[in-house]
Amino acid sequence: MEDNDLYAALLHEMKNNLVLLAMTLDNIPHCGEELHDAPLDAARLLAQRTSERLLQSLLIYKNSQGGVILNAVDAYSTEDFVQELAQHTRSLKGTLTVTAEVDDEVPAIWFFDRNMLEMAMINAVHNSISYARQQIHIRASIRDGMLAISVRDDSDGYPAHILEAVAEDRTLQTSGTGLGLRFARLIARAHQNEGKVGELRLYNENGAVFEIRVP
Amino acid sequence: MIEYKTKTALVIDDYPNMRSAFRTALAAFGLTKVDMAATAAEALGRVKNTRYDIIISDYNLGESRDGQQLLEEMRHLGLIGLETVYLMVTAESLYEKVVAAAELAPDDYLIKPFNADIMRSRLDGILAKKEAFAQTYRNFDRGEMEAALAGCDELMKTQPKYLVDAMRFKGEVLVAMGRFEEASELYNEIVRLRAVPWARLGLARTLHLRNKSGEAERMLEDLVIQYPELIPGHDLLADVQIAQDKYQQAQVSLQRGVSTSGKSILRQRRLGEVAYHNGDLNTAESAFDATVQKGKYSIFLAPNDFANLSRVYIEQGETSDAMRVIQDNRKLLQESDEGKLVSSVMMGLAHSRNGNAAEAERHMKDALKMKQLGAAGKPELLLDMAEGCLKAGLADEAAALVGEVARNAHDSERLLAKAKSIYNDAGKAEVAQDVIKQATEHVVRLSKEGALLAQRGDLISATRQLFQAAKEAPRNPRVLMNAAWVAMRLVEQDPSQSHELAQVRLLLDDAAYLAPDHPRLGGLQTKLRSVEAALGIKSASPRKRTGQLNGR
Repeated sequence: MEDNDLYAALLHEMKNNLVLLAMTLDNIPHCGEELHDAPLDAARLLAQRTSERLLQSLLIYKNSQGGVILNAVDAYSTEDFVQELAQHTRSLKGTLTVTAEVDDEVPAIWFFDRNMLEMAMINAVHNSISYARQQIHIRASIRDGMLAISVRDDSDGYPAHILEAVAEDRTLQTSGTGLGLRFARLIARAHQNEGKVGELRLYNENGAVFEIRVP
Repeated sequence: MIEYKTKTALVIDDYPNMRSAFRTALAAFGLTKVDMAATAAEALGRVKNTRYDIIISDYNLGESRDGQQLLEEMRHLGLIGLETVYLMVTAESLYEKVVAAAELAPDDYLIKPFNADIMRSRLDGILAKKEAFAQTYRNFDRGEMEAALAGCDELMKTQPKYLVDAMRFKGEVLVAMGRFEEASELYNEIVRLRAVPWARLGLARTLHLRNKSGEAERMLEDLVIQYPELIPGHDLLADVQIAQDKYQQAQVSLQRGVSTSGKSILRQRRLGEVAYHNGDLNTAESAFDATVQKGKYSIFLAPNDFANLSRVYIEQGETSDAMRVIQDNRKLLQESDEGKLVSSVMMGLAHSRNGNAAEAERHMKDALKMKQLGAAGKPELLLDMAEGCLKAGLADEAAALVGEVARNAHDSERLLAKAKSIYNDAGKAEVAQDVIKQATEHVVRLSKEGALLAQRGDLISATRQLFQAAKEAPRNPRVLMNAAWVAMRLVEQDPSQSHELAQVRLLLDDAAYLAPDHPRLGGLQTKLRSVEAALGIKSASPRKRTGQLNGR
């Protein structure tokens, strides 16, 4: 029991410190000089990725202990969601062109757990930031009656073994990209409505596309 | 673009570095006035003196209260309104639980770790929504319910992005107006869009208010199976079970709620009351004990909580524990008249059970003096006092107390039964009948006559009878509301009687104080406003429904 309390306290402190680190880095302004801005961007991204990894591993651990129930599914603006994600992406790497698009057929609101879905999508954003040449495109559309949020970059695309693993629903490796994908799949599937279950889709189409569909 | 320059913010976090990080981030958004608080108590102090646009609070605030309890206390005290942004920061490990436990939801949650960017876009979103709802919120706060309702309809039509938010708020407006059927329909409509837990809760609540408790119970049972962490679901389930006299099941529901989230003293108190009703003194003891322990940091702690705990100890034969509860909290209890009354009554009763007649009598006489000076007490406490008086040979005083309780509760079988048992135990069963009959006879007669006169259309005489009934049973919310209702019908029919509205206002204020959640109340308050509006009388703002006890 004492050990558990100790771990919990350490984790609590670590999360707080990560918030501090991220916010401190966010408060250092860009100054338009490559020598300053590039390492700043790198540091911001690293702080974000570390936070992201920590959160994902904790949530995956929690899931293994009894499943993720989404208590906070509610109506959220699809436009706001896509814009928030795009803005976040821009702030992480100013040199990339980040575009956002909401298809006309997408309703103004959709029901999902915004915090969880955002975490899953940020995961894709971080990945794309590392591989994109110049562009990241974030888009909301309707696929099979579900809301599809996608992140598309202009990289060489996902390697075949990752595409296969996701398509064939195999267990994904527990480190790096694999961990993030596992988490994204977990969150996608926790979204359920009228017998339909959310999905994670990866494919290559003029670059890598990461897509989560929520019913 | 949201203008942050003129906004004010309060940051609540027990971690100093975090507070300053928030301050820096908010300054970067353009805010110039950012205050800090390290504890819930400090935050309450600040909010009492300053009006903030934005409050950012960590959920975990150390030992005393959490961010959710703080939000509830601020709203309850009327310190923050609908226009204030409340952003809750929580760890991922607590997120789902925190979200499910919130009856009164903050505007948004941020999961730790996060960065300033996300915080900014969340604040942008909340502030834009508050702006869109500003006029509707203002109308609601002023009690202009028809206007608030029209505002919701307008938003639903013109702002697709806020469709569900507007529907949700409209549901609250309809409930506040007592228009439960329309509210049910609205919640049904939302459930058809998506069966989100809050909409299902809203639907069940309106069914309960429409006396369809069986239907509500089945709905809630399904809901809490699917969302076991949904605390308001367990609470409401207990309500509908009590309404059907299923006290055993209600205790189980409350115990489930308490085992998921035991910090709320209101829930612990409720569990104690229901367990006490069920004769489960062990559960009542632990729940009332938890109420008092956790209540140390809560504005919801009331003197009567000490009476509840002390009473359970007395019934268990643990008179020394009963006395200890009072003695250990003497300082707090001496701060209010009701507290002083609680002290004297419970000490006196404990001494009396111990056979220490002289001490018992001394305490009871103190209590009688307090009572004479105007100290108010819950009916249960007055009956305890009556018991003590009876044992001390103060028969007239006992009869007066029982009479007072009975007069105000002629429709409560539970209290009348308790009153009888006091006399039974003293071997004076026949006296009980007399005392109760004498006390209730007149009120019952006035109420019946009033109802009959109203039925026959003689509203002037009906109003006179019912006002008199209200005067004799000033603590019976049903009597007060009946009187108010008939008087309003009179004024509607005959505007020259509009002077009666002053009395109606007082009756409804008192009813709101005594039974803030009574299903008829909202409808009557709304009716008063429309009667006033029809006569061109400007309505006073409704009194905050605090439900606080006298002297606190």
